[in-house]
Amino acid sequence: MVAVKNLRKTFNSLVAVDDVSFTIDSGEVFGLLGPNGAGKTTIINMIVGLLKPDNGAINVDGSDDPTRIDVRMRIGNAPQAVALYESLTARENLTFFGKVYGLSGRRLKERVDWALSFARLEDRAKDRVDTFSGGMKRRLNMAGAVVHDPPVILFDEPTVGVDPQSRNLIFDSIEDLKRQGRTIVYTTHYMEEAQRLCDRVAVMDRGKILDLNTVDNLIEKHGGKAVIIAIFDTPPQDLSQFPGTIEGNTLRIETMQPTQDLVNLAQAGLKFRQLRVDRPDLETVFLNLTGRSLRD
Amino acid sequence: MGKIFTLAGKDLKLLLRDKASLFWVMAFPLAIALFFGAIFSGSGGSLSGMKIAVIDEDNTDFSAAYITELEGQSALRVSQMTRDSAFQKVRTGKLSAFIVLRENFGEYRGMFSADPLIEIGLDPARRMEAGYLQGLLTRANFTVLQKQFASFELFHTELDRIESDTSIWNDLTAEQNQLGKDLLSDLRGIVNNLEQEAAPDSGDTIAAKTGGGDLFAVDITAVTDDQVMPRTPFEVTFPSALLWAMIGCAATFAVSIVKERTAGTYLRLRLAPLTRTHILGGKGLACFVACVSISIILLLIGNLILGVRIVNLLILAIGVFSASFCFVGLTMCMSVMGKTEESVGGAAWGILMVAAMTGGGMIPVLFMPSWLLTISHFSPAKWSILAIEGGIWRDFTMSEMLLPVGMLIGIGVLCFGVGIGLLSRSDA
Ligand SMILES: Nc1ncnc2c1ncn2[C@@H]1O[C@H](COP(=O)(O)OP(=O)(O)OP(=O)(O)O)[C@@H](O)[C@H]1O
Ligand SMILES: [Mg+2]
Repeated sequence: MVAVKNLRKTFNSLVAVDDVSFTIDSGEVFGLLGPNGAGKTTIINMIVGLLKPDNGAINVDGSDDPTRIDVRMRIGNAPQAVALYESLTARENLTFFGKVYGLSGRRLKERVDWALSFARLEDRAKDRVDTFSGGMKRRLNMAGAVVHDPPVILFDEPTVGVDPQSRNLIFDSIEDLKRQGRTIVYTTHYMEEAQRLCDRVAVMDRGKILDLNTVDNLIEKHGGKAVIIAIFDTPPQDLSQFPGTIEGNTLRIETMQPTQDLVNLAQAGLKFRQLRVDRPDLETVFLNLTGRSLRD
Repeated sequence: MGKIFTLAGKDLKLLLRDKASLFWVMAFPLAIALFFGAIFSGSGGSLSGMKIAVIDEDNTDFSAAYITELEGQSALRVSQMTRDSAFQKVRTGKLSAFIVLRENFGEYRGMFSADPLIEIGLDPARRMEAGYLQGLLTRANFTVLQKQFASFELFHTELDRIESDTSIWNDLTAEQNQLGKDLLSDLRGIVNNLEQEAAPDSGDTIAAKTGGGDLFAVDITAVTDDQVMPRTPFEVTFPSALLWAMIGCAATFAVSIVKERTAGTYLRLRLAPLTRTHILGGKGLACFVACVSISIILLLIGNLILGVRIVNLLILAIGVFSASFCFVGLTMCMSVMGKTEESVGGAAWGILMVAAMTGGGMIPVLFMPSWLLTISHFSPAKWSILAIEGGIWRDFTMSEMLLPVGMLIGIGVLCFGVGIGLLSRSDA
C-alpha cells in the first residue's frame, strides 16, 4: 500500500532522512517511533508529496507520484501541528475539507457526521474551533484527515499535549479505522502508543531506521530480560530449583521467559505477599538500540 | 469552478467572523466618508454650514445680490465682518475661509476681468476645502448673473462694457482685436433678433423666450452645475471610502494567505486535490467579492441616506469592478512579501498607504508636486477614484473610462503575475 525505498532528504548539511526503506501492507497500522528530530515528519511529508526526496522512490497505492490529483484523493494526512480554521465551527471545518475533496450532497453530510463522531465532537459540532480545548482540536485535526474516507491515513503525533482521556478517545478512533481496514501510518515518541496500536514499528533515530519489526519481536530482540520480583511472607526453604537471587524475603529473577518462570513459581505452591513482573518495553528497546532514552 | 467557490466561500465566512478586519474594510471607510463629508459640509448631516465670512469692498447691487445668493446656499454659513476680524477667525480655526469681494466686482459682474475680483482667505491646513468652496462661489456668481442678465437691457449694457473696456482689448494683436470686434457685433445681432422676437410681450426675459431659460441654463450646467461638479461633499468622500474599503480588503486578504501558511491550513489545501489555480483563484475571488459587496453597501448608504448620486450605474459598475480587480492583483503580490502575518500585514499597509497618498486619497492631486504627480500615474488609488467617480458624478463616457480602467487592469495583471511567480517559487 505504501512503500518507500532508499529515501533520503537533506536540509543543507543536515541529513534529516538517511536511506530509509519500508513497505506497509494494506490494513496495517505502521508506527514510526523516534525522538524529536528523528525525521518522522520529514518522511511523512515525502510520502504525501509535500517534500521532494533528494533520493529514493515512493509508492502510494500503486502510484509513484503522490502529488497526482487522483492519488491525493486516496491519502489523508493529519499534520503534526493542528491545522484548522479557528473561526469556523467544527462542522464547517469538516464540511469545507469534505467539499475540497469533492464530496457533496448527502454523501458529504454523512461523511461529516461520521467524522464528527470519529472525533467524539458531535455535541460541539456547532461551536467555533477557537473555543475548543487542545485535545478537541487534535481530534478535529484528525477528523479532517479522514472525512473524505481515504484508504491511506497518516497521523503525525496526534496525541501531543493531550490528556489521558482524550488520548484514549483518539486510540479508540484509530482502532475503529483499523477495523475498517484502513492503512495507517502513525508517528509518535510515546512507547505505550506504538505498543498498543501498531502492528509493526520502525524505531528511528537521526534519520535512520534502527530496526523494524512487530513490537513483540522488537522487545524480544532488543529488550533484554524481564524481571520478576516476588516477595514472600516467609521465604521458602529451598529455592535452588529457581533461577535468580534471594535477598531477605525478596526473590528477583531476570529472565528471557517470564511466563514460563511464573508458571513454575505457581506450580511450586509458593505463597507470595507481592508479585511483580517488569517486562522490557520499547523504551528499553530504544535505550538498548541507541544508548539514550527516548525523551530527555 | 465549484472548488474555487468553496474556497472563496470559506474565506468570506472567515472575513465575516473577523471583527478586526471587518472594522477596517467596512466601519473605517464608512467613518471616513461620514466624518470628512460632515466636515466639508459643516455641522451635522444637514449640509448647512461651511462657515465663511464675506467682506464686501464693492458695495454695489451686484455684490449685495451675490452675498444674498451665497447666504441662500445650504452648504455655506455666511457672516459679514471686517477683513481683520475675518482674518483672525480663519487663523484661529473658527471660520473655514473668508472671501473678499473687491472693488469692481459689481462692475465686472464677477467675470471677465484681468485682475481677480474675489479674494479667498483660507487656512492652509484646510486647502482640501478650497476646491469645493471655489465651486460654490462660481455657482453663486452664475446664479446671480442668470437672474440679472435675464433682461435684454442688461445684456446690452454688458456688451457695451466689454467693448469699452480697454484692459481687455489693449493686449490683443490687431488681428485678434478685429476678431473680437466681429464677435461682439455678431452677438449684438443675435440679441437684437431675440429682442424683436420677444417684442409682443416685451419685458420678458430671454430665458423665457428661448424655451425655458436654455440660453444661460445650458451654459451654467455645463460649467458648474450638477453634472460635472460633486453636488455634495459626500460625493467626494464616498469614492475615497470605497478606495479605503478596497485597501482594507487587499491588506486583509494578503494577510489571510500568510495566515493559512502559518496555521498550516495552506498545506492541507496543497494536499487536497486542488491545483494552485484553485487556491489562488479562491482567494482572488473572495477578495474580489468582498471589494464589490462592500462597495455596494457603502454606495447604498451614500445613495439612500446622504444623497450621493449615481449618474451612470453601468459606468459605476465598470469602475468598481476594475478597481476591485486591481486590488485583487495587489493582494496576490503583497501576500508573498513576507513569511509572517506581521511582516506581510506591515508591508501591505505600507504599500497601500503610499498608493493612497500618491493617488490622491490623502493629498488632493491638485496640490501635488510634479514628481509626485508622475508617480501617481502608477497609483491604483488614483485610477480607482477616477473610475469610481466616473459613474458617481463625473459622468464619464465609455471612452473616457478606457484610460482609468485600462490602467487598473494593467496594474492588476502585473501584480497578479508577480505574486503567482513568487508564490510558486516559495512552494517549491
Ligand atoms: N524545512 C526544514 N528546514 C530545515 N531543517 C528541517 C526542516 N524540516 C525538518 N528539518 C530538520 O530535519 C530533522 C528532522 O525533522 P522532523 O521534523 O522530520 O523530525 P520529527 O521526527 O518529526 O521530530 P518531532 O518529534 O519533533 O516532530 C530535524 O533536525 C529538523 O531540524
Ligand atoms: Mg514531527
